[in-house]
Amino acid sequence: MEVVDHKTHNLENGQAAEEEEEEEVDENANVLQFMDSMDAYLTLIHSLSSNLRQGWLELASARHSMGAYRVNTVLLDHTSHSAATSLLVDEGKEPHFTLCKWGSSGNEKLFLGEEQSSRDKSHPQIRHRGATQLSEEKTTSENKASCEIDDPVQKERSKSLSVFGTLVSPKLRDAQLSFETALETLVEIANRRSEMICAFDKVNKKSGGSKD
Amino acid sequence: MYGFEAMTFNIHGGYLEAIVRGHRAGLLTAADYNNLCQCETLDDIKMHLSATDYGPYLQNEPSPLHTTTVVEKCTLKLVDEYKHMLCQATEPLSTFLEYITYGHMIDNVVLIVTGTLHERDVQELLEKCHPLGMFDSIATLAVAQNMRELYRLVLVDTPLAPYFSECITSEDLDDMNIEIMRNTLYKAYLEDFYKFCQKLGGATAEIMSDLLAFEADRRAVNITINSIGTELTRDDRRKLYSNFGLLYPYGHEELAVCEDIDQVRGAMEKYPPYQSIFSKLSYGESQMLDKAFYEEEVKRLCLAFEQQFHYGVFFAYMRLREQEIRNLMWISECVAQNQKSRVHDSVVFIF
Repeated sequence: MEVVDHKTHNLENGQAAEEEEEEEVDENANVLQFMDSMDAYLTLIHSLSSNLRQGWLELASARHSMGAYRVNTVLLDHTSHSAATSLLVDEGKEPHFTLCKWGSSGNEKLFLGEEQSSRDKSHPQIRHRGATQLSEEKTTSENKASCEIDDPVQKERSKSLSVFGTLVSPKLRDAQLSFETALETLVEIANRRSEMICAFDKVNKKSGGSKD
Repeated sequence: MYGFEAMTFNIHGGYLEAIVRGHRAGLLTAADYNNLCQCETLDDIKMHLSATDYGPYLQNEPSPLHTTTVVEKCTLKLVDEYKHMLCQATEPLSTFLEYITYGHMIDNVVLIVTGTLHERDVQELLEKCHPLGMFDSIATLAVAQNMRELYRLVLVDTPLAPYFSECITSEDLDDMNIEIMRNTLYKAYLEDFYKFCQKLGGATAEIMSDLLAFEADRRAVNITINSIGTELTRDDRRKLYSNFGLLYPYGHEELAVCEDIDQVRGAMEKYPPYQSIFSKLSYGESQMLDKAFYEEEVKRLCLAFEQQFHYGVFFAYMRLREQEIRNLMWISECVAQNQKSRVHDSVVFIF
């Protein structure tokens, strides 16, 4: 009888130890996820600062090249027109932001964001856009050939810049690309921040539970 | 008659030539630029400029300064000097001085028309116009819907009227038409100015031909590079090039079909004066092209002062001051954006 009790006690101890170990692994995973999100967030902040500095300098360079009378706030378009870029916000358990670029002429908007397998599958699969080249992956919802999207995107870019004239300096186009990259980085920062907050909440819950 | 200007030039032009040579002595030197490049704030720049000819124009500006304020006040100084010279000038110097401002007039016309297309307030647009390019009926530009109306209502009474014959259409004004109008007007203006200088003859014709030919060639290169990847066709591009200059006509034929910067380089390197400009750039790069062209222009403008008894000094002085204002704008931007390491990217020393 005593032997049976001892064996049962040992079994229960073993199960408790396993559960504790699993909890510790989960907690470590949550902490690691939080640290990873924070690291990515800080890297993106630094990248944004760098993109914006570059963009402002390129804009100043374009004003220097074309003249202050050609690159001027007074030329910006005040006629009513739809936004070239919009932001979709998914206010779920973990808020997610998706950037839709270059859709003002009625062309299908391009959805941009991170490409992570941990993303909710209900979001359209999105690609990471470089400066002027499309990435290789196609979105499941868009499903267009890369070369078919290039021309409309370039046309929309030129249309945005046409407020300053149709023959603009390459420096102005470079400034546009820098600010476009900065905008994409901003959206990524928002998504990382959302991840970070969720990971922090998980870590807090666990540590609050363990204190209890 | 060429060679005898020394006998008659000073009767009507001597005083103003002395004035403009005096103004030239007030241009900023390399030492001034070195001090300016080391400034930490725009107020430091204002303090350094207070010891120069710009001092009286900036001294009453309150802090914090803005880069556009620095440019506006420096431009105001140039305008005051120009107006003094213009009111003292007799023919044909007065016409020559007026020709120098027609480029700014074209820029102002395009600014007003573009701003009106974008539903901007006319007063706001007028405030941003270049003061050297103002004329009486400029505000009326806002009512025109197409180029025919633009000409009929406003421009027929301005010096730009003769340049409109090549671009009058009844098409409504849009961004592409406006761009073509801008470049067509500027082309016609340059050609007219060139012919006027040729008619004056003598040292003026010789020196101004070189300067205007360089301007025409630089425009051709800029139009080519800026139109790469746009909807502008090769024929339309070719029509925007001026009908004079070192590149006319064979260089223009090659530039018209260029599709990238390396092809432009290939076309330009056949001409020795431009080979030295493009040799400063690496392949595929166009960032430093503007600076290279400005440096070449400054060299030619400074050479204009080496000869006496011609009108080229007035043109050269105005252009050198405009370059100086561009330098100040760039330095101010780099200081304001805390990017002083990039300040030498675009500053062109005059002396």
